[in-house]
Amino acid sequence: MSDQEIAVLKRALQRERLARKKAESILEQKASELYDTSQELKKSNLALQSLLREKSSELKGVFENLVDAYVVMDLFGNVVKMNEAAEDLLGFRMEEEEVNLMSMAHPSEVDRVIQAFDKLMKEDSVANFEVRIKTLRGESKTVHINASLIRDEQHKPIAAQGIVRDITELMQLQKQKEELLESLGRSNEELSDYAHVVSHDLKSPLRSIDALVTWILDDNKETLDETTLANFDLIKQTLEKMEQLISGILEYASATSMDQKMLAVNVSDLIHGSIQMLHVPPGIQIEVDSGLPQVMCHPTKIQQVFQNLIGNAIKYMDSDAGQIHVGYQERDSHHEFFVKDNGPGIGQEHHQTVFKVFQSVSPKSSSSGVGLSIVKKVIEFHGGKVWLESVPDKGATFFFTLKKDL
Amino acid sequence: MKGIVFTEFLDLVEEKFGLMTLDEIIEKSDLPSGGSYTAVGTYEFQEMLQLVTNLSAVTGVSVDDLLMTYGEHFFKVLEKSYPHFLEQYQDPLGLLSSIESHIHVEVRKIYPDAELPKFEVLDLTESTLVMMYRSSRALYKFGLGLMHSTFAYFGEKAEIEAEKIEEDGSVVKFSIHKI
Ligand code: HEM
Repeated sequence: MSDQEIAVLKRALQRERLARKKAESILEQKASELYDTSQELKKSNLALQSLLREKSSELKGVFENLVDAYVVMDLFGNVVKMNEAAEDLLGFRMEEEEVNLMSMAHPSEVDRVIQAFDKLMKEDSVANFEVRIKTLRGESKTVHINASLIRDEQHKPIAAQGIVRDITELMQLQKQKEELLESLGRSNEELSDYAHVVSHDLKSPLRSIDALVTWILDDNKETLDETTLANFDLIKQTLEKMEQLISGILEYASATSMDQKMLAVNVSDLIHGSIQMLHVPPGIQIEVDSGLPQVMCHPTKIQQVFQNLIGNAIKYMDSDAGQIHVGYQERDSHHEFFVKDNGPGIGQEHHQTVFKVFQSVSPKSSSSGVGLSIVKKVIEFHGGKVWLESVPDKGATFFFTLKKDL
Repeated sequence: MKGIVFTEFLDLVEEKFGLMTLDEIIEKSDLPSGGSYTAVGTYEFQEMLQLVTNLSAVTGVSVDDLLMTYGEHFFKVLEKSYPHFLEQYQDPLGLLSSIESHIHVEVRKIYPDAELPKFEVLDLTESTLVMMYRSSRALYKFGLGLMHSTFAYFGEKAEIEAEKIEEDGSVVKFSIHKI
């Protein structure tokens, strides 16, 4: 080998050696870069893992602490997950039994359950589905269900979830309430029938007494003295009063009988109607506000109320310049009406009692003492209140309210 | 320029012209690396330019021809080192028209410091592809060699016309017709 060849080979060898060293140092550097990167990756992986754990335990907490029963089913209705509330409600444990939706449906509800599940698949959700179920313990329950489909990232349905609420008791209460109302209606009717019978039965002996008294009077006109005749007159008046009282009872009993429908009526028509039925003496002026509302009510009953209140104001008016003012004020949930007069007024001690049956304040015989009690009964029936304000000798104002949403 | 371009080049020179020629062109060039290259390193493009120029001077083969030959050879290196890049294509035009949009994009992910050319597809049909090559290194002949090998790889043939848009070869229009 020539010297030149040896020199070339030496140089080539030298270059290769240098290149190898360079490569080694580059690889060394890359290796340490890789190490750093993998360390960092590890760290962020750990952070991600703990975040994931945290999130899933949070979710688990929500799932388990949900008061309502929560159930996840696959697309065939097999229960795949449920919380404790659901285990309690449905009466089985996930670990012990495999349960399908259909096996929980009450035999009479199977068709409705199939329909609801179809709807869930087609429309993504089912809301307020009430259905009877049979728990695995054999109990019948009524439940309320809100369910929705769970989809994956590609929007493909993968499962269904539902919140199930036990409304068995609620339904029972509802049913009890309905039954109670019905029986109440029935006994009310019976009562009113009874009042009719009783008043009729009570009135006929009264009429007999009246007739007998008249005959005695006719037969003994000449022999009776002044005092006896006056007493007979008192007997007749008392009989009349008695008859009025009995009519009052009947009126009171039938004051809220339900033979009429609630209607939207113009109150000003009712008031003018009631004034027409009354005899208004020339010394009395009645002023009715304009702009009165339309209200839902039993028209004849409310007309009776106005007739009673305005009638009372007229009846007890002791002023020569009688003023009666019928007015209105709107409240949040109620209509408020008032009938104000400048009559004798009513003492504070009577403000409660005037509304009780047979509690007439005035000794005037034309009062049966049931008028205001009927007013109270009708108003309360309309979800309202009645009360009065009065300054003796200055006049009285009767207020009453009617509930707006009847 | 990536070291693999140098190591493969030097290997090819040694194989074709012998160790003496290789030693000669290295000795003649003024190389910061001392002519010692590793495939995993990165070196100045200037070194490649000197090596090729001196090889041309020593052998009498034009720089252009040397670069084209090297391009044809370099495809084999790509085939060996990056087979999965090539396997994604069924035909040569599909591959060539994807250099800019896919292949070199991936290359840049592996070597952020790679000095790659730009290929702008001007027209692509069943049988033709017109692309504009742009690179300050003006290695379009190297590209031409790669293109020839691409067709050979698929067992197909083509007529490739390279029209210099810039005199220095930094912008070249390639018109490729499959035959
Ligand atoms: C698997 C396919 C390919 C890979 C992995 C690849 C990779 C590379 C790499 C690593 C470089 C050197 C960059 C540097 O030195 O900094 C390069 C340069 C180059 N590549 Fe590709 N390449 C591929 C296919 C092609 C094809 C098919 C062409 C056809 C035209 C091409 C044209 C070029 C050109 C012309 C250069 C020289 C740089 C310049 O002109 O500025 N490449 N490529």
